[in-house]
Amino acid sequence: MIAQLADSGLGRRYASARDLLARTPFWARVLVVLAVLGLAVLGYGDDYVTSVAVTAATYGMLGLGLNIVVGYAGLLDLGYAAFFAIGAYTSALLMTQAHWNFFTTLPFAVLFTGTAGAILGYPTLRLRSDYLAIVTLGFGEMTRISFNNWDYAGGPNGILQIPWPNLFGFQLDTQADFFGVSLFLLAIAMIFAQHLDHSRLGRGWVAIREDEFAAESVGVPSLRLKLFAYVMGGMWGGLAGAFFATRIGAIDPTSFTFQLSVLVLILIVLGGVGSLPGVLLGAVVVVGLPEVLRQFADQRLLIFAVLLVLMMLVRPQGLWPRIRRKPKPFYGLEEEESGELSATILREHQVQVEERVRRHAAAGRQVAQQGEPLLEVRGLVQRFGGLRAVDDVSFVVRRGEIFSMIGPNGAGKTTVFNCITGVQRPRRGTILFDGRSIVGLRPHVIVSRGVGRTFQGIRLFRNMAVFENVMVGLYPRHRTMTWQAMLHTPGERRDELRTLQEARRWLHFVGLEEVAGRLATELSYADQRRVEIGRALAAHPHLVLFDEPAAGMNPTEKLELVGLIRRIRDLGITVVLIDHDMSLVMRVSDRIAVLDQGRLIALGPAAQVQQDPAVIEAYLGREEDELSMAEPRGA
Amino acid sequence: MGPFFQYTVIGLTVGSFYALVALGYTIVYGIIRLINFAQGDLSMVGAFLGWTLLVSLGFQHLPLYVALIAAFVIPMLGTAVVNLGILQFAYRPLLRRSLLAILITALGMSLFLQNLAELIWGPAINAYPPSLLPASGFFVGPVHLTYVQIALVLVSLLLMGGLLLFVQRTTVGTAMRALAVDHDAARLMGINVDAVIRLAFVLGAVLAAASGVMLGVYYVQIQFTMGFLLGLRAFTAAVLGGIGNIPGAMAGGMLIGLLEAYTTGYLSGKWEDVIVFGVLITVLVVKPTGLFGERVAERM
Repeated sequence: MIAQLADSGLGRRYASARDLLARTPFWARVLVVLAVLGLAVLGYGDDYVTSVAVTAATYGMLGLGLNIVVGYAGLLDLGYAAFFAIGAYTSALLMTQAHWNFFTTLPFAVLFTGTAGAILGYPTLRLRSDYLAIVTLGFGEMTRISFNNWDYAGGPNGILQIPWPNLFGFQLDTQADFFGVSLFLLAIAMIFAQHLDHSRLGRGWVAIREDEFAAESVGVPSLRLKLFAYVMGGMWGGLAGAFFATRIGAIDPTSFTFQLSVLVLILIVLGGVGSLPGVLLGAVVVVGLPEVLRQFADQRLLIFAVLLVLMMLVRPQGLWPRIRRKPKPFYGLEEEESGELSATILREHQVQVEERVRRHAAAGRQVAQQGEPLLEVRGLVQRFGGLRAVDDVSFVVRRGEIFSMIGPNGAGKTTVFNCITGVQRPRRGTILFDGRSIVGLRPHVIVSRGVGRTFQGIRLFRNMAVFENVMVGLYPRHRTMTWQAMLHTPGERRDELRTLQEARRWLHFVGLEEVAGRLATELSYADQRRVEIGRALAAHPHLVLFDEPAAGMNPTEKLELVGLIRRIRDLGITVVLIDHDMSLVMRVSDRIAVLDQGRLIALGPAAQVQQDPAVIEAYLGREEDELSMAEPRGA
Repeated sequence: MGPFFQYTVIGLTVGSFYALVALGYTIVYGIIRLINFAQGDLSMVGAFLGWTLLVSLGFQHLPLYVALIAAFVIPMLGTAVVNLGILQFAYRPLLRRSLLAILITALGMSLFLQNLAELIWGPAINAYPPSLLPASGFFVGPVHLTYVQIALVLVSLLLMGGLLLFVQRTTVGTAMRALAVDHDAARLMGINVDAVIRLAFVLGAVLAAASGVMLGVYYVQIQFTMGFLLGLRAFTAAVLGGIGNIPGAMAGGMLIGLLEAYTTGYLSGKWEDVIVFGVLITVLVVKPTGLFGERVAERM
């Protein structure tokens, strides 16, 4: 049936039209849509309708900005009106006091609000999201009241007689003129927002929203990214504010209340969080609905409230929800021979290694050669309350080996991993990687030093496709800057393409290229573990820590895992493994460390550890432990 | 030093209202992780129900104790019914789905309650009977204490103490605390999760109604918009004390009340919010879990 349809002329035309749409750059699509909307409104030719449309466009700009903060980065902001206010006041003061042209004030309004975002965001973004909500709310109120009390800015009366914008000598003073300007600004806001969304920044934001801890552990600098989101959101708000000031002609603090922040939040949730067309639709509804309800005068807010609550019940995902699916992620990417692929990966990795050697040599440091210590843990102690989870553990992992850590549940193995990867700060002890201490560094810094990891309970980004998960792992290796991402420059495009290509190689390496477009949660347990391995490898680490990779795998899958671990080692990557499957550990490991109750009780090659009386007594010899060892320990 | 103690008395009185509403925020948040923005408006509903009883239905002419008890208990019940209705129709279908959607619903409910109240009781300011309680008081040194202040603070302390005992000492209270830690584990232990959530909403509403009636008695004037500022302050108080923490909410409320009184007294009323929020942000930056909040361990 579908095949018939595709063969028919109509189907072909539909397919080619869709193809054409997909190939049209986003900016062109935005311009076309906005131009059509603009012509429709202007063609209607009613001043009232046009002015409502201008308001809707202003709210659209605000919504696009807040969408970056709430929709992309997942930070709840209840004081967004503050940025609107700062933008409006900056622009209005420059126009009335310094007699600047509106268009000249725009960059300053945007810059000022961005700075305000940075000042507020830097100390507060470490807070949990609910706390951030009240902090932003407080910031919004403080800003409004400060303007209210600031005499230079007119105090409660605000700023009056703000001039209309002047474009190359033309005075813009009709509603239609404003509508044109607002559409132009809206187009800029939309195109930039979309570019950000589809850049590595956007991917990092989604990863943080999905699982901040996992994102940080695979190399995404979560704090910096959150700050970026905050600053960018502020800049969009500043743009909208400046426009608002010149359009209204007089601003005062009552235009920037908590209610406005809430209205913008309602707008983006109504439209569909994270979805750009949704934001526009939300803006039209939030601005248009009260106008339509105008005949009910007194009850219109009541009706609005009821409709809002009903809407949330019926469609909590919004009117035009965001879709993140790409069934053929590598469509259009040049094919590579599968034989060449592993060779390419090996070559890429060697390039990385050489680069590192050069970097270290330039800094006057030695790089661990094959068989020399790569990771040194000395006297590691970690305590939780009265419990000594890790008690004076020392060991050395040599470059190029497969090193395993075994021990009964609660022996402290994962805690050692968490200390190495910077998730926890050990109470005492030193951890040297490549001869340099990594204690106290943030997890993403340790990733960029060359340590990758997987998690005991799988921590993939659940609502991202498999290939996107791996692309997040490539985050530390991007070279593009934020402004490049915003403008979608050729350099940024090349970098993105390279990332996609590499993600594909790694998926091929772990044997998952076929399912690259699926959501991570749709895969089997074993495959999810392999995605995690691919994500950890993507940053080209020198050391990977696998926390129970075989848990939940069947014997065939375990066999494949052994092969995979060996191939990883053959790339020159050192592997540290925690697992409860003795046959797997004994088969694959060069050396084994045995932990029991936080202490290291044996260390050596498999045969030696198996014979060690202490190990047999504490661990292998006890029947009930054998049983518990065989069980996968999921989260 | 005279004004200082006077401001302290005012601050503690107002702070006890905030504390009561903050407790509602904290209890509901602790259990379903929802910032129930309608909390302040529930207070407003309570205040208007009290006003209806006392003025419209003429309870003010009954003997003082009967009038007072009725004016507290009936609004408490009424507000509890309202809050349960909100839970049932607006929040419950969204629980375990999207936190953002519930939050928006909560904001929508706040808007709804305000506009409904405006529709029922009108936009004008309504006045509580001024002669309900004796306006007189006495001096302790230079500090003037009114009987109203003492009565209100005592009532709120009584309510807070009762709540604390209930949560710490009863089986149901233990169930609430268990639920705050882990819903699934609590369910597996045989706790009726839905019933406990309903209980949390009832408790939140009862405390909010109490504070609403007290506000009416204290300030005399009530209006349909009064819930917003009250809710905002109370929410701030709950976070300041560490949201989810019951003694924290009480202390937070008192602190906000004091801060407000000192700012108004020594500086100027127009900087009140700036100071309150400035202190809040500073505290959170220094101690991200609030003054009394405990560090929540993240599961690895």
